[in-house]
Amino acid sequence: MIAFWRHLTHGLRVLTRRAAADRDIDEEMRHWIDEAAAQHVARGLTPAAARRAAMAEIGPPTLVRERVRDHGWEQWVASWLQDLRLAGRTLRQTPLFTTIVILVVALGSGAVTTVFSAMNAILLRPLPGIADPATLIAIQPARRDGGTAEQIGWPRFLHLRDHARRVDGLAAWGRVPLTISDGAGGTSVLGSLVTANYFDVLGVVPLRGRFFTAEENRTPSTHPVLVVSHAFWLTHLGGDPRAVGRPISVNGHPFTLIGVAPPAFRGLYTGLVFDAWAPLMMQPQLRPRANMQHGSWLWGFARLAPGASALSAEAELSALAETYSRSIGEAETPDTQSRIRVTPLTGLPGGKTTTAAFLGVMLGAAALVLLIAGVNVAAMLSGRYVSRGRDLAVRAALGAGRLRLMRQLITEVLVLFVLGAFGGFAVASAATAALERLPLPASIPVTIEISPDVRVLAFAVGLSLVAGLVFGLVPVLQGVRRDITDRLKAESAGAGRRHSRLGRALVAGQLALSLVLLVAAGLFVRAVDRGARVDPGFERDGVLATTIEAEAWGYDAAASAAFYAALRERMTAVPGVTAVSYATRVPLMFGSSVDTITFGTTTRDAHYTGVDEGYFDVLRLPIQRGRRIDRSDVEAAPRVAVVNETLARLLAPGGDVIGRTFRFRDADTTVIGIARDAKYASLDETTPPFFYVPLAQMRDSRRTLLVRGPAATVAPAIAAAVQARDPRLPAPAVSVLAEDTRSALVPQRAAAIVTGGLGVTGLLLAALGLYGTVSASVARRTREIGVRLALGANRGTVLRTVVGEGARLAIAGIVAGLGLAALAMPLLRQWLFGVDPRDPVTYLALAMTLAAVAVSASYLPARRAAATDPLRALRTD
Amino acid sequence: MTDDAPSTDVIQGTMDMLILKALSLEPMHGFGIARRIEQTSRGVFKVNPGSLLIAFQRLERDGLVDAAWQQTESGRRAKVYSLTRGGRKRLDDETAQWTRRAAAVARLLKADA
Repeated sequence: MIAFWRHLTHGLRVLTRRAAADRDIDEEMRHWIDEAAAQHVARGLTPAAARRAAMAEIGPPTLVRERVRDHGWEQWVASWLQDLRLAGRTLRQTPLFTTIVILVVALGSGAVTTVFSAMNAILLRPLPGIADPATLIAIQPARRDGGTAEQIGWPRFLHLRDHARRVDGLAAWGRVPLTISDGAGGTSVLGSLVTANYFDVLGVVPLRGRFFTAEENRTPSTHPVLVVSHAFWLTHLGGDPRAVGRPISVNGHPFTLIGVAPPAFRGLYTGLVFDAWAPLMMQPQLRPRANMQHGSWLWGFARLAPGASALSAEAELSALAETYSRSIGEAETPDTQSRIRVTPLTGLPGGKTTTAAFLGVMLGAAALVLLIAGVNVAAMLSGRYVSRGRDLAVRAALGAGRLRLMRQLITEVLVLFVLGAFGGFAVASAATAALERLPLPASIPVTIEISPDVRVLAFAVGLSLVAGLVFGLVPVLQGVRRDITDRLKAESAGAGRRHSRLGRALVAGQLALSLVLLVAAGLFVRAVDRGARVDPGFERDGVLATTIEAEAWGYDAAASAAFYAALRERMTAVPGVTAVSYATRVPLMFGSSVDTITFGTTTRDAHYTGVDEGYFDVLRLPIQRGRRIDRSDVEAAPRVAVVNETLARLLAPGGDVIGRTFRFRDADTTVIGIARDAKYASLDETTPPFFYVPLAQMRDSRRTLLVRGPAATVAPAIAAAVQARDPRLPAPAVSVLAEDTRSALVPQRAAAIVTGGLGVTGLLLAALGLYGTVSASVARRTREIGVRLALGANRGTVLRTVVGEGARLAIAGIVAGLGLAALAMPLLRQWLFGVDPRDPVTYLALAMTLAAVAVSASYLPARRAAATDPLRALRTD
Repeated sequence: MTDDAPSTDVIQGTMDMLILKALSLEPMHGFGIARRIEQTSRGVFKVNPGSLLIAFQRLERDGLVDAAWQQTESGRRAKVYSLTRGGRKRLDDETAQWTRRAAAVARLLKADA
């Protein structure tokens, strides 16, 4: 270690004070010569002769100095800096070449960087705005068999909080829809009900005012205080510092605004944006229908105590959870959540693996573009070294070592790639900005933030350096390998032959890879098309939907019910409306609820939704047998359900299901009808067992109003109805069901855009490569072509020959590309809605496209070749 | 150069050892070390000044010798090298190893003869 430091400091001294170091060496040499000369004089030489002899012995001083200096590592740095300067000079001499290479690298590196940027933001970037995320853990109840739930119940959480020692503060939050009003109209926002230590555990400090105190979260309903996000403060409170401390209405209750969160902090759920936080103990006001003791509605997290590991915390919390389960006499079944799973707090609950797989495939696609770009650059470099052959040879002849020459060329390549990386970063910034604007349904408060950060920049530069080494090495080796004397002797027609064979293979490879990308894009486009045409089992067109949570306006159960009934009546009266209903969930818009049902000895998961009278009419979802849910199914009425065909088959294989019962939420539920199978959560799902229960018999306060009627009159009517009821209420977001359900296709659409963009980029690069290769070949054969023309060859024949050369490359590329695609595309099967990953129409169409582009790319040089003037061609050189 | 036999370059890899040995008696400047090696080897080894200066650089960086600038009688600055503790240890190790190897080689040559 000490030795290392000595080397380092010595080297640095030489680097920084080079003149002084040189002087030291000189002085030592001079002293040596003096001594040696003195010895010679002692042997009888004259002083002058003695001095000459001594100097001869030691050799030329500059050489000695070089050799002594060359010894340390710092010499590498110095000469590398020299290389760098030289590279800059050479590259400036060929601005066109330099610009094109940098652009090509920027496109390739930009493609990968864009996808990596998305991965970084979604999978790697910690939640923004929190401190030291490494020691934050998410706490999720787990079953004995390993299954986990996202959320935890309040009593269980309290038990953990009061006994856990290996965590430094256990905090929790629950989601609550809020309507915030500052005097005039209200705004709907997503809010969090949080424990008092929520911000402390996260290490978030207020931008203005303060956060919650322990006192404010001790007793229910006593401290109506609110913290808002920076964005909310800016847009709705005008960024007024005096807003803090002012009264503000939340869900119709008087609250006091006590603080503003810092700009980066937007809550703890990736993709959702939270704008307000209130003490958990204000839950009775803000979620009046729910009982905070019941249900698992909290997301728990904690800061690890110093020295504690996630594993030890998990063991402790699990032991506590088990004690708790026993203390409340919970039966020991496989379903009992008697354990705790500890994971890093990422804000990405569930679905991470699917997202990761999808992004992985996209990263692979982007890597292909980088490969194409790299190959393209390799071909360009190769050509450059052939044309710079004489210059390189002269430098080698003048004594530059081959290694040194190679290092110099590699430096040049790396400079190009690093500059390209910065270009790539710019490309990624623009591309992610475009992707972020990808339209999402207005009804979902999701933001996708995938803009690149410093880590992404580091990735881009690192990636480019590696790519530069990989793609630069072969042409550089080729550039320095060829025999120097050969090089000086002949720059003849045959010199570039080997290069051109490699170049051709590279061009065909580029065409093949871009075809793979295009095929992927084509398949995704077909998947989007297929997805849009999948029969969801009901009629999406002509239905408007708006989700209303009257509770969030401060209405109690009775007031809510009255409001919903009045709204329904007003809607029915709107001209053109044929059916109106409510449901807890809307199909194809972010899923349905799932719970266990029991029939006979079988217990299994089934999906369900609560629906009101008229639901099946609004969606035109056919009832195969029995009756639909209607006005008679009130809260006090017997529990009933309409099941889908799949569930009917499970409940009564071969028999009549009507009148049978199953247990759902501790009540016998009687089947009253069978509805046709439909799509519920996504368009490519296998139909799950599904049932509909009367909305009146459910506790859920969230309702989506569904209206079948003309959008032009219905949407304003909904807004008017809400405003008429209470002018302070925010206007609800009305969405067109047919449009919103297309959000189910967002991944495919994004994939089609990304792979399509990558494919077109790849194709352009490949076409450029093809053009370059054919042009170079034409340039090399100018004389030959001239001779042929002079001997009477037809210009048409020349044209055909040259285009044929390009066409042969294209055919090779297409064959290879189709083969690769056939191998790789089955990887995409799960996103394709049943489109065949080897769909011949897609393959054929894109192969033709590629062929057309390839022919055009070789047509330009071919026309130039055909226009060759035989006389001039023969005169040159 | 006083011997009849032609002088040879220092055997590859032994230069460091010879320098350390020369310095084990007293601190010296570069030319002194060269002279000492030539004299004690009775002119068998001829030291190339360039290689010697490079070797000094290496030994200094490895912490085996220390270097200090001193004023000579003629008023010039001279770089005087001295052995460090690490250098002395290295010399002992190398000497032991060299002796072992040389003895082995000598035995082999004798056995063949």
